[in-house]
Amino acid sequence: MAVDPSALTIDQLNTFIASRLVLSGIDLSLLPTAPDPVTGAPTQAQVLSSLRSFVLSNPVVINAWRPSPPAGTADATILSQELSPPLEYPSITEAWTGERTGR
Amino acid sequence: MTDRELNRRVFLQRSAAVAAGTAALTTLPAWAGPATAEASPSRRPPLVPDVDVRPAAKADPTEATVAEAITLLRRRSLRATDLVEAHLDRIAKFDSVYQAFNAVTADSARAQARAADRHGSGTLNGIPLCIKDNYYTAGVATTANSFIYESFVPPYDATSVARLKAAGGIVIGKGQMGPLATTRATTPNGTITTVNAWTPGTVSIDPGGSSTGPACSVAGRMATSSIGTQTGGSIVNPSNQQNLTGLKPTMGRTSIYGVIPLSYTRDHSGPLARDALDAAIMMTIMAGPDRNDPRTLGLPAVPDLISSALPVRRHGKVVLRRPTTIGVPPDFLTGVSADVAALRRAFLDTLDAIPGATVVHVGYPADWDLMTGTFNNVRLSERTEPFLPFLKEDPKLFGVSLLSWLQGLFLSGDEWITGQRAKNHLLREVLDGVMSGCDVLLQTGPVPFDILGLPELALPIGFTAIGAEPKVPSGTILGGRPYEEDRLLEVAAAYQAVTSWHTQRPADPTLPSAGAKRTESAAAPAAEPLRLTAEEAATLSA
Repeated sequence: MAVDPSALTIDQLNTFIASRLVLSGIDLSLLPTAPDPVTGAPTQAQVLSSLRSFVLSNPVVINAWRPSPPAGTADATILSQELSPPLEYPSITEAWTGERTGR
Repeated sequence: MTDRELNRRVFLQRSAAVAAGTAALTTLPAWAGPATAEASPSRRPPLVPDVDVRPAAKADPTEATVAEAITLLRRRSLRATDLVEAHLDRIAKFDSVYQAFNAVTADSARAQARAADRHGSGTLNGIPLCIKDNYYTAGVATTANSFIYESFVPPYDATSVARLKAAGGIVIGKGQMGPLATTRATTPNGTITTVNAWTPGTVSIDPGGSSTGPACSVAGRMATSSIGTQTGGSIVNPSNQQNLTGLKPTMGRTSIYGVIPLSYTRDHSGPLARDALDAAIMMTIMAGPDRNDPRTLGLPAVPDLISSALPVRRHGKVVLRRPTTIGVPPDFLTGVSADVAALRRAFLDTLDAIPGATVVHVGYPADWDLMTGTFNNVRLSERTEPFLPFLKEDPKLFGVSLLSWLQGLFLSGDEWITGQRAKNHLLREVLDGVMSGCDVLLQTGPVPFDILGLPELALPIGFTAIGAEPKVPSGTILGGRPYEEDRLLEVAAAYQAVTSWHTQRPADPTLPSAGAKRTESAAAPAAEPLRLTAEEAATLSA
């Protein structure tokens, strides 16, 4: 059965966010609890609100995508593993592979 | 104390008061890399032909393009000392309004100008340049407008800076920028600094970011040319907003060694210049392999960009150097104001009338919005990783820009890999699909070609009115195939040979009376200066 990220409560998300920050060594309590015009840094509440929005709107979209084999292909999920291998620098790879450099 | 004067010392004091008992902030780690950046690739210095110098440039050297200044200097009609002094005069007179610079290196610029007049050599000998403040400059503070780098003085020049200096270029100052190259230029706490040189009385009008100061310095005639960086439009956007020609090259065409990172796979360096020829001159000097940046190695040779940027005439008529098909995407004439749409139609008509140019309409793939929208956020992990020590030290060091650095922690490794797969997928959609029938693709935003590392050239196409401001620049962006900056320059050179938008300069700003505060509008009552919120900084971030 598919899980539904939108069913996560604010408390659950806040716990996840705070835990992830701690795991990366980041102390949320160093941020102000009221607006701080001197540094301009967001408050702790602003950070939690912003990150709740981010985690509900980004990972689920990105991890749902897969390159699509031709329509009607059997075992599409398996075959998609062979498509579009990851490229950190696609334009450089294009030059190295000699494809379509135009030169 | 003004916001602009806020420094790391004050920040530390404030932090100590707010978070008493937390670990003391540490200093930047000692640098242990190579002693110098690679000054220049082994090739002959580029030759810039003499150009016809416009009367305006003869009368006032701050009007001159790089090519005009080179011509005047070579003919000994102009001395480097006079050229540099004329720009320093304007900085002294007007930069309190423009706020294009966060450091002016007047003494060293004057000394270098004197040396240039005595025995200088090099393509850029005596030309004053503004360097965005995220490029390392040896012995000169490099802050990226961030608390993190407030007291950082690099031990060496970035490769691009080293090459420009080796070519005789004179660093006249460091350009204001969005904190850590994110938004329009602000102080670390979000207070807006640099204005659009065309609308200095209306601070709210976008000057483009994050290379805001370099753009303003050139538009405001306080530097002959400039360099910036681009991760999400930061060269082409300020160029478009301030009537300049900006060239964001293909990834690897220029080194980003010695540039403060924002997103490794998307950070590019390039010029914000007065026209296509100036962009070509600057790019020619910056481009080429750099052993300190492996992304620059093993790539196609740098073509003759300067020749590409010289217009070609046959029987007295401007023609394209090579037959070129220009693709117009479906949203090019939609989603903009009627005035901008009219300028874009006129731009297409002008291009189409140039022999050798063919304008065609092209389509986007079905998943274009997804690939260039949410998938744009995959970049955020890349900004988190190099800055994690500072996030651990004190997240307030990121000031108004903090949120997008934290967001990067909330994409998992597998999602980042999926993002790299999507880049490959999008590359094939662009090169084999959208651009299969065209050589150049007009862009309606910089992000798609920033994701792919493909080249972009921004150029002016006219002016519109915004509110009470009657003359605000409007520009457009050409996109090209990998390492085809020459093709973009050919198109821009032909267009600029039959138009004159790029030769127009803004009027000098009205200097405020003593003690007056900058406000939203020159006509508005005194108010607190405009600031970006943390949420705005995250949304607008490059």
